[in-house]
Amino acid sequence: MSSTPSGAGAQDPPAVELRGITKRFPGVVANHDIDITVAPGTVHAIVGENGAGKSTLMKTLYGMHRPDEGHIRVRGREVRFGSPSDAIRHGIGMVHQHFMLADNLTVLENVVLGAERRFGIGGRARARIRELSAQYGLGVDPDRLMEDLGVGERQRVEILKVLYRGAQTIILDEPTAVLVPQEVDELFDNLRELKREGLTVIFISHKLDEVLSVADEITVIRRGTTVATADPGTTTARELATLMVGGELPVPELRESTVTDHVVLSLDGVTVRSSDGRAVVDGVSVDIRRGEIVGIAGVEGNGQSELIEAVMGMRPLASGRVLLEGQDVTGWPTLRIREAGVGYIPEDRHRHGVLLESPLWENRILGHQTKEPSVRGPWIDRAGARADSERIVAEYDVRTPGIDVIADALSGGNQQKFIIGREMSGSPRFLVAAHPTRGVDVGAQAAIWEQLRDARAAGLAVLLVSADLDELIGMSDTLHVILRGRLVAQADPTTVTPEQLGSAMTGAGLDGDQSTEGEGGAHE
Amino acid sequence: MSRIPRPNTTLPGPAALGAAIVLGVAVTLALDTALLWWVALIIGVAAAFAAVVWTGPLVPDGRSGSSGTREEGTGLHETLVVPTALVLSAASGLLAAWFLDLSLIEPVAAALGALVGSAMAFVLFHRLSAMLALSFAAVLAAGVIAVAVTAAVLYLSGIPPLATFERMLEYGSRPDSLVRIINDGTTYYLAAVAVAIGFKMKLFNIGVDGQYRLAALLAAAVGGYLVLPPVLSQIVIVVTAVAVGGVWAGIAGYLKVARGVSEVISTIMLNAVATGITAYLLSTNRLAVEISTNNIGTPPIPESSWVPGIPATFLGSDHEIFGLVLLAVAVGVGYWVMLNRTRFGFELRATGQSQTAAEASGVNVKKMVFLSMLFSGMVAGLVGLPQLLGSSHYYALDFPTGIGFIGIAIALLGRNHPVGIVFAALFWSFLNQASGILPFDGVPQEIAVISQATIVLTVVVVYEVVHRWGRRYQQQQIGKQLGGTAEQDTEPVPSAAEGGTTDGEDGAAPDSGGERGGKTQ
Repeated sequence: MSSTPSGAGAQDPPAVELRGITKRFPGVVANHDIDITVAPGTVHAIVGENGAGKSTLMKTLYGMHRPDEGHIRVRGREVRFGSPSDAIRHGIGMVHQHFMLADNLTVLENVVLGAERRFGIGGRARARIRELSAQYGLGVDPDRLMEDLGVGERQRVEILKVLYRGAQTIILDEPTAVLVPQEVDELFDNLRELKREGLTVIFISHKLDEVLSVADEITVIRRGTTVATADPGTTTARELATLMVGGELPVPELRESTVTDHVVLSLDGVTVRSSDGRAVVDGVSVDIRRGEIVGIAGVEGNGQSELIEAVMGMRPLASGRVLLEGQDVTGWPTLRIREAGVGYIPEDRHRHGVLLESPLWENRILGHQTKEPSVRGPWIDRAGARADSERIVAEYDVRTPGIDVIADALSGGNQQKFIIGREMSGSPRFLVAAHPTRGVDVGAQAAIWEQLRDARAAGLAVLLVSADLDELIGMSDTLHVILRGRLVAQADPTTVTPEQLGSAMTGAGLDGDQSTEGEGGAHE
Repeated sequence: MSRIPRPNTTLPGPAALGAAIVLGVAVTLALDTALLWWVALIIGVAAAFAAVVWTGPLVPDGRSGSSGTREEGTGLHETLVVPTALVLSAASGLLAAWFLDLSLIEPVAAALGALVGSAMAFVLFHRLSAMLALSFAAVLAAGVIAVAVTAAVLYLSGIPPLATFERMLEYGSRPDSLVRIINDGTTYYLAAVAVAIGFKMKLFNIGVDGQYRLAALLAAAVGGYLVLPPVLSQIVIVVTAVAVGGVWAGIAGYLKVARGVSEVISTIMLNAVATGITAYLLSTNRLAVEISTNNIGTPPIPESSWVPGIPATFLGSDHEIFGLVLLAVAVGVGYWVMLNRTRFGFELRATGQSQTAAEASGVNVKKMVFLSMLFSGMVAGLVGLPQLLGSSHYYALDFPTGIGFIGIAIALLGRNHPVGIVFAALFWSFLNQASGILPFDGVPQEIAVISQATIVLTVVVVYEVVHRWGRRYQQQQIGKQLGGTAEQDTEPVPSAAEGGTTDGEDGAAPDSGGERGGKTQ
């Protein structure tokens, strides 16, 4: 079809047109007055920071919920979607951020699941998958077992699933979040292929350099509404960033080094085995000093969670030792480790960090149920816990009407700020911070970084695990890369680039001389 | 009322309370001469309530609900909280007056009832939170539905529903019935608390039935064979029952912790085992003796080991209320204190709400599972004691069974709340008692079972629906008050802003709007 995407919109009706879309949720207006026109045969990027309302908008377009106001037009015809199957019928498919694939089935079975009527489940379906795979250059073999596939291949299977169902317009929700930089490039090649074949791609992201490299047109969403449409040819990342946040974007960075030579936490050959005997953490040795933030980079699922749980006493060690200021705390129960002055910001705050149905002041007690001021002996000190919750709300800028509000009623960023305030209270010696800014809006993100910096300056030792490479590079004094449970490389955060880290995370090794960096860790 | 202009001063809380009480009592007394006492009382309490509403804004430290949000002026507050407060204060006034009327002369009782009602009007208007009002409204609605279903069943069976209800009410409120209701309610209450302790941990102790029967048998045997001085004897009997109940439930707890056996399965099986053991022990060459021609049981406990009853003359009955009703009260208070004021209770609730969060916070979940099962069993061990020490004095073939299962229903009905269970237990035993009259009128007694079953179902369903809706409503209110959380939170913080790279905020988590969206599906 048309090879000049910008010209295509002039003759054909837009592939998708959203007019005046408004969607309200309890507590927030997620979207209001959204206007977007997506020309056919283009890659249209929708950018906005976390919480700006991108996912809500795409769920509206994909029929997962109805808009409160506004119109959706597909190829010029007005439509009302009651469910995703309505959207699929109109040629709109969506690839979710989290894959929806069954590991124990083959590619073929995953693809036909729920679409058995199109081409059956046998030879015809297999032929169709091969045909689609060849047509769009996806390189997917229908008979491979899903669990053998890597992340990038799984994503291509998801795309194939959508194509198999006859989609003309494909929505990709944060497709690069789970990919390392090399896989991102492959994905973009696939997207260009799709475009060449006449399909329309709606690409949701907040990573501006990616957007600029792949999109034909960019719509910026801020605080739930469309604020601008930009042409990637004439826009810079900086301009886009300004549009996205209505100001300048905060950047994680440490100022002067505060690292001392007093080791707070020392891991010595820590090995953790999964229930089937596999070593998920394999001989990890690392020292964390007063005033030092040690970052762990790695593709998710390479042993970071298990390492943290081992440090926190939630998972038994197969071998190795954990020393807290020289004291052997290996095998201590979680409570005793916490009492010894270890704070914990868990990676999944809803599962591990808060009691969603309890008021904030009760959440203040959680994890500190043996310590002043929340508890006196076997009794809960309500007055103490409440007063200290008020302190946290004030000091950490938790936006809430009061401390009697249940945790579930707060936004993710405010829950996280409360958790950090709680974990910092009682001046811990050591802090485990797992994805401290995950799912948190930009304002809260900057505040959290600031708090980590302050605590570091005050002598706190921090183990930082994150999937956000910029956060890791910006916030760490020392940076390690974990791959299949081993620390495979050490990088200097002052010089390493996200691309170098990304290649180390996939096992290709750091380019250049990074890996030979000594144990010093500190940088100027 | 609120249209009337108010003086531009503040009014101290106690003064407003006093004024409301004086007004309520005065109106009631004045009208009592002309109208039926209860009509007078309702009008009196309503007048007091109106006064409270009017003075409300003048009282400093205006209301803020337990949710911490200012609730005044919201739609929910106007349409639900205020009416619920009015209904509840009138009801509490009526109940107090009716109760006092049993021993006092009518005008005095009405006046005192008005006093209680007016005081409640003040307290409820200023303290009742939206969530609590919702709970009350839910229970009320469930009750209405249950009554309607029962009436429909009666009507379809060709029995006049209204006359039947009237008859039940009349019989159920006779003095002797009241004593029975309190006595049965005591037993039910203990059983329900035992179940509720498990429920708070998301543990389903179906074995309360077996636990209390075994405990009662062994406690009765100890009391019957081991003659000890008074007081000491009672203590030994109670301790035996608690220990046996605890051990029996502890087995299930141990199996769950050590072997991962579901407590539902193990307690059901332990019930069967308990039935077998009691049958084995309750034979004349083991623990039992012949009690009467057709009955065998443990030897009667000597009178010095009984727990004296409380004379119920103030209810107008010459029967006695079980002395161990005080034990039930103590258990209820202890349950409340344990749950809300102790570290153990906090850990218990935390584990029940989120096992993963409790684990990450250093709660030893296995220990909590075992201990809560143990405590549940210990309370279950007490269930048979009011009956044993207060009335039958031996454990025989005719000892009441199945109370453990009733306890499950009552715990559900009372929402595991120590006070809620009181009302649920009394209501349950009221239905049991009141339906006793029906066979005399040729109405099947099972009608009470229908009511009980419907009300448990409706309460559970309606409560859950209302609770969810209430939570969403609360989130909405908070969102409104913060002016849209999303908008405020995205305010950039200039101090940290520097440089131009913009990629790489964390992308793995869905944004909060999307999360909410998923929930509302």
